[in-house]
Amino acid sequence: MFYRRAGISHTSYRQERQLWPLPFDRRLALFVLALTILAPLLVDRLYLVGYLMPWVIWSTATLGLNFLMGGAGQIHLGYGAIIAIGAYSSVHLVRAGTPFEIAIVAGGLASALIGSIFGAAALRVKGLYLAMATLAMQSIVDFVITQVPAISGGGQASLPVPTATFFGIAIVGDLRSYYFALAVCLIVTFFMLNVRRASFGRALAAVREKDYAASILGVNTFRFKLVAFWVSSFIGGVVGAVLAFCYYRAVSPDQFHLDLSIQIVAMAIVGGVGSVLGSFFGAALILFAPILLNQAVGQAAEMFGLAISADLRAHLPLMLYGGMIVGFLLWEPLGLAKIYDNVRNYFLVWPFRHARH
Amino acid sequence: MRASAAHARTAPASTAGDELALSCRGIERSFGGLRALKGVDLDVARGEIFGLVGPNGSGKTTMVNVMTGFYPPNAGRVRLFGQDITGVAPHRIARMGVARTFQNLALFKGMSVLDNILLGRHVHMRPSALAALFYWAWAEREELAHRRLVEEVIDFMQLQDIRDEPVEVIPMGLQKRVELARALVAEPRLLILDEPMAGMNQEEKEYIARFILDAREERGVTIFIIEHHMDVVTAICDRAMVLSYGETIAEGEPKAAIAEPKVIEAYIGQRAAARHARAQT
Repeated sequence: MFYRRAGISHTSYRQERQLWPLPFDRRLALFVLALTILAPLLVDRLYLVGYLMPWVIWSTATLGLNFLMGGAGQIHLGYGAIIAIGAYSSVHLVRAGTPFEIAIVAGGLASALIGSIFGAAALRVKGLYLAMATLAMQSIVDFVITQVPAISGGGQASLPVPTATFFGIAIVGDLRSYYFALAVCLIVTFFMLNVRRASFGRALAAVREKDYAASILGVNTFRFKLVAFWVSSFIGGVVGAVLAFCYYRAVSPDQFHLDLSIQIVAMAIVGGVGSVLGSFFGAALILFAPILLNQAVGQAAEMFGLAISADLRAHLPLMLYGGMIVGFLLWEPLGLAKIYDNVRNYFLVWPFRHARH
Repeated sequence: MRASAAHARTAPASTAGDELALSCRGIERSFGGLRALKGVDLDVARGEIFGLVGPNGSGKTTMVNVMTGFYPPNAGRVRLFGQDITGVAPHRIARMGVARTFQNLALFKGMSVLDNILLGRHVHMRPSALAALFYWAWAEREELAHRRLVEEVIDFMQLQDIRDEPVEVIPMGLQKRVELARALVAEPRLLILDEPMAGMNQEEKEYIARFILDAREERGVTIFIIEHHMDVVTAICDRAMVLSYGETIAEGEPKAAIAEPKVIEAYIGQRAAARHARAQT
C-alpha cells in the first residue's frame, strides 16, 4: 500500500536517526500539522473553542505527565495541583504587572520547584506509596489554594485573568488563544519526540527499566528521577498558564481538583504510557467520547422511538464510556498508540502478514 | 604449589601502590547473621586478567558488589587506581572508569540493541533536558559522534545485523554479547565480568574468551572475571583467587591455585577430595 520500507535505505546516521525515517510518516505528520494550523478556516468557531482548543491543551498536559509516567516510570496523581500552581502563579504575576513572557516561564518554574520538592520526598518510596504521596500533594495544594485568600481571591471566588500580551501581541479572541496553545503544544511535542533519541531520554528509560544497571553505567538514578519530576512539573505549570490565559480566563480552585489529575492519568494510560502520539489519542478519547456517546444515545433513542427514561438517558453514555475504557485496556493494554502501531505495521508488510519486528 | 601461590601474592604488593588497578584490604560484609565476606584481601595489577572462582555462595558476586559500590563493606578499604572508593556511590565509581556486566543480564527491555549500547557511553556524554529540546542545535552532533564509536564496537562484537532489534527478542548468547559491548563502549580502565560465559556452549565460550583477550591487547583494559568454567580460567587468566564461604583459600597462578587440595575439597567435599588425592598419587 502507501506504506513501504522497501527501497528506503539511509546512508548516514543522521538520516537513520531522524524523527520519521519513513517518508510516508513524515508526510502524514506534516499533513496533520497543516490541518491543526488551518483548523480555524476549516471548522466552525464553536468547534474550535469547544473541541480543538481543549484537545490541544489537554494533550499538552498529557504529554507532560507522560514524560514522568512513560519516560521515568513514576506515577503522579497530583498533576492537577501542578497545573493549578502554574495557573495561579502566572495569573498573579501578570496581575502584579509582570510581562506575560516572564510570567508563563515563572509559572512553570513555580510548579517545577514545588513539584520537585514534593518529588524529592515522594521519590523515597515507590509504586503505590509514590501514588499516595503524590495524592497527598494534590490535597495539600488544593487546601492551601482554597484556604489562602491571597491566592484564590477568597472563599468561593474565581480570580479574573487579565489579558496577556505575548511579545506585543495581545492574546485576545479565540483565534490567537488557539494559536498560542497550539504553539506551546508543538514545542512540548518536539521536546518529547527529541528526548527519546537523545542521551537524556535514554538515561531516563534506563532508570525506569533497571535502576541498578543504570547506576553502573554512571547514571545518577535519584538525580534523574528528580529531574524527570522537575521537567514534567515545569510543563504542567506552563500548561496551567495556557489554561488560565487562553481557555478559562477566570481561575477558581475547583478547576484543578483531583478529577483533573485522574482525567490526565486516564488520558496517558488509555493513549499509551510513554507514547507521544498516544497522548493526543488519549486526550481525544477521554474528552470527546462522553460527548459523542451522549449524542449517539440521543439519536438512537429518537431514531428507533425508544422510550428511555431521563435517568437512563443521562447514565447510559457514562456506562458505555466506562465500559469502553475497560475494553480498551483489556484488548490493548498498551493503549491507542499501540493499536495505531499495529495498523501501521499491517500496512507496512501488506499483502504479507508478518512484520520483521 | 604453596610456594608459587605465595610468590604471586607478594608480586603485585612489591610494586608501587598506584600500579594496582584494584586493591581490597580486609573486606567484611554481612547480611543479617550471614557473614558473606570475612576479611578478604585482593589485588589486581594493571593490565592483568584476574579470575575469581569459588563454589556457589562463596561470596564472589558480593565481592564484585562491594567493589562497584552496591554493597559498601562493613569493614575494610577498597582502592581503585590508588584512590580510596570505599562507600562511594556506584554511579561515581562508574565515572572513575569501571564497567561491569551482570550474572543475570541487566539489559534495558523495550530499547533497541543500539540504544542499549549507546547507554554505555553515558559517562562520556552531557545529557540534559535543554539539549534534548534543542536537539538539532545541541544534541545531534554529540549523538552522531558517539554513534561512530559505538558502531566500531558493534563491528568488533559482530552485532551489525541485530542492532535495530528490541533487545528482549534476541537469543541469550547474543544478549550477553550486547551487554559486553555496552560495558566496552564506556572505555573502562577496569572491566568486571560476572560469569560472562554462564549457559554458553563451547563455541560461544571461545568467542567470548577471544574477545576478552582482544580487549586487553587492543584497549589495555584490566579485566576482573568471575567464572565457573575452570578451563577458561586456566586458559586466559594471569592470576586467580579462590573464595570459599567468604574466605580466600587459594591465590596465584590459575592452574596451581585451583589444584590446591583445599580448593578441591571446597568443590567436591572432604572425602571425595581424599579419594581424588589418592588417585593422583
